[in-house]
Amino acid sequence: MTISGFILKNAFRNKRRAALCVLSVAASLALFVTLLVILDFFVNPPEDIGASLRIAVRNKVSIAAPLPVRQRATILKLPGVEAVTSLTYFGGNYKGEENTYFAQFGIEPDQLVAVFGEAKIPHEQLQAWIADRTSCIVGADTAKKYALKPGDKFPLVGVLYPIDLDLTVAGIYQGTTDDRNVFFHQKYLDELLGDPGTVGMWWVKARSAEEVPGAIDRINAAFANTSAEVLAETERAFQLDFISMMANVKVLISSICAVVVFALALVSASTMSMAIRERLRELSVLKALGFRRHELFAFILAESFGLSVVGLLLGGGGTALFFAATDFSSLSGGFLPASLAVTPRILGLAALVAVGLGVVSSLAPALSVARLSVVEGLKTLD
Amino acid sequence: MFHLFKYHYRSIFVRWRSTVTTIAGLALVIAVFVMVQSLAVGIERSSANTGDPRNLLVTRQGALSEATSVVTREQFNIIRYLPGVARDADGTPLASGDTLIIVNLPRRDGTGSANVMLRGIAPAGRALRPQAALVEGRWFDPGRREVVASRRLAGRFANLQVGGTFKTSGQTFTVVGIFDAQRSAFDSEVWLDADEARSAFDRPDYSSMLTRVESDAALARIRQTIEADRRLKVKAVREVDYYKEQTRSAGPIKWLGNGLAIVMSVGALFSAMNTLYASVGARTREIGTLRVLGYRRRSILLGFLLEGAMLAAVGGLLGCAIAYLGWNGVSTGTFGQETFTEVVFDFQVTPALMGKALVFAVLVGLLGSFLPALRAARLPVISSLKSA
Repeated sequence: MTISGFILKNAFRNKRRAALCVLSVAASLALFVTLLVILDFFVNPPEDIGASLRIAVRNKVSIAAPLPVRQRATILKLPGVEAVTSLTYFGGNYKGEENTYFAQFGIEPDQLVAVFGEAKIPHEQLQAWIADRTSCIVGADTAKKYALKPGDKFPLVGVLYPIDLDLTVAGIYQGTTDDRNVFFHQKYLDELLGDPGTVGMWWVKARSAEEVPGAIDRINAAFANTSAEVLAETERAFQLDFISMMANVKVLISSICAVVVFALALVSASTMSMAIRERLRELSVLKALGFRRHELFAFILAESFGLSVVGLLLGGGGTALFFAATDFSSLSGGFLPASLAVTPRILGLAALVAVGLGVVSSLAPALSVARLSVVEGLKTLD
Repeated sequence: MFHLFKYHYRSIFVRWRSTVTTIAGLALVIAVFVMVQSLAVGIERSSANTGDPRNLLVTRQGALSEATSVVTREQFNIIRYLPGVARDADGTPLASGDTLIIVNLPRRDGTGSANVMLRGIAPAGRALRPQAALVEGRWFDPGRREVVASRRLAGRFANLQVGGTFKTSGQTFTVVGIFDAQRSAFDSEVWLDADEARSAFDRPDYSSMLTRVESDAALARIRQTIEADRRLKVKAVREVDYYKEQTRSAGPIKWLGNGLAIVMSVGALFSAMNTLYASVGARTREIGTLRVLGYRRRSILLGFLLEGAMLAAVGGLLGCAIAYLGWNGVSTGTFGQETFTEVVFDFQVTPALMGKALVFAVLVGLLGSFLPALRAARLPVISSLKSA
């Protein structure tokens, strides 16, 4: 019998225990990977292709405070600025729903391509949208969820605003990191609200990446000490700011990750030592035959290592496949974006945990074997 | 039967090493479950804790929260003078037009900024909310850019301690006092004078209004009047009912807690099964002896199920203890979906929650011990007596 054959035979001597051990490692690693995916989504949100050129401008008081329309002309004249559009969060509910998960924004349609170039939409649909003041374009995910096609009615009930929008779908776009959003004419909203002369935010596209910091400074300076001071920041900084509002969620998820890993180590270490204790007599025989301590340690290590790697393949790999195959967006009724995925970095972390687990859980049994005297071991009955 | 119980009870301590790891594994699962659920309980408690049943809260029709509501001064004045509205000693109606403003403030620990709710209130507004009591400094003076912050927010945001200042909308506000609102939703707010708020943030209208009514009958009458009056496109609900509804943020947290508990318990289940299988294997002879003594198969089965349940109950208790000692009452915060601001609340490890967790733990124990117990019950008597 070869050494590897010996280890393999040993590992699966008690098939039920091996299976249970592998399954508990797999379940915990699956949870670990899932939590990391969620954490990643919070800490490191997906970035659009054009994000490096975009600047988000909000009222310095808070994102909930509006900005005066007159700022548009001032921003457009600043050096380094290529295009500007308003972006006003409507926050309504799709007719008949209580909790609508896709966001809806008022925007300037003719500026969409200039500022959000990654949104892919057929030319004639874009033209139709620009031409019809009460029409909207819908992200592919939302269109799929509600089975929408151009020409369909799309009524939205106001929650933040005391008005409802009677929209018609003019087109369907895709290619952004969140293809759930709906865009409609800022003008239509203004009209229904009786021209309040305000917008929610400005989104600005800089001429080049080098000009972004300068443009940000100039925008901030242009409105300093006015009645509506602004905070301009890169799209990335804006996103991260938004996420920082989630406050302690990040800490919560990371500490749960730590607990899961700890519980995992506990469980598999105990199973491993159970398996070794059962075979103290054989290990003593091996010792008597002349096997050295480090060889015995290698046997044990290889076995626990093997079990945790199988657990990794099952748990980590299974979760990765699950995430790749599942449409979370439609599964959660649009609550989660479609971009959740197991990244190579997360898989690497899971592998690291599995390897660490293999080593840690072989330590205790290896120590007791190393300390074991041959005579004592041969006497053990259990 | 009592002897059998004693046998299993003692067996738990004989093989204490594997027992301890099983218990510890399950304890961690239960601790995580209780911890996450106690967040949801904390949010619900803080909402349920808020308001006075004699108060009526008026908001715009269709607005889901005060933060997105508008009540004009005309509407305010009509409702204020409706018959049935309580009056103070001077005969002034007890009503406060509140202005809610969301401001972005830097966090104390320097990890970015978050939205904070500023509430502009009339003098009556404070009388209507006796829950909020001053604990440091003084209340703001009307006519000055002064604010009073909740103690919990002061701990989380920079410059919200007494004497601190912050600048927003071109105005500098000074913190002159700290209040504590007894774990209610007001603990997530900063208060200032209503007129100051409206002038500093250029708001012609109020966001909502809060008023005291004389009696339940008056409350019903006022609600009827408001609904019948077509000029008033507002809705009036009891303040306590309004806050009971403001628990949307608890939904995803419950969801997370349940999901975590299920997946983690699967891992713990396998571990418990392993321990019990090993235990059954090692006690083959003992089980044979029990059978010879006259115990039936079903007693053996029951006994091992009991052992699993006991193990799990100990793990569950330990987990509850960890969660209770570690987190109960600890203050935390997250993004409130209704208010669009940071809501501050406590982890609330309640007896009901711990009871639920224990039931869950025992279920995991029973499930994990079923197959091993079945194996124990099916052991052939003679050969098990012969085994080493």
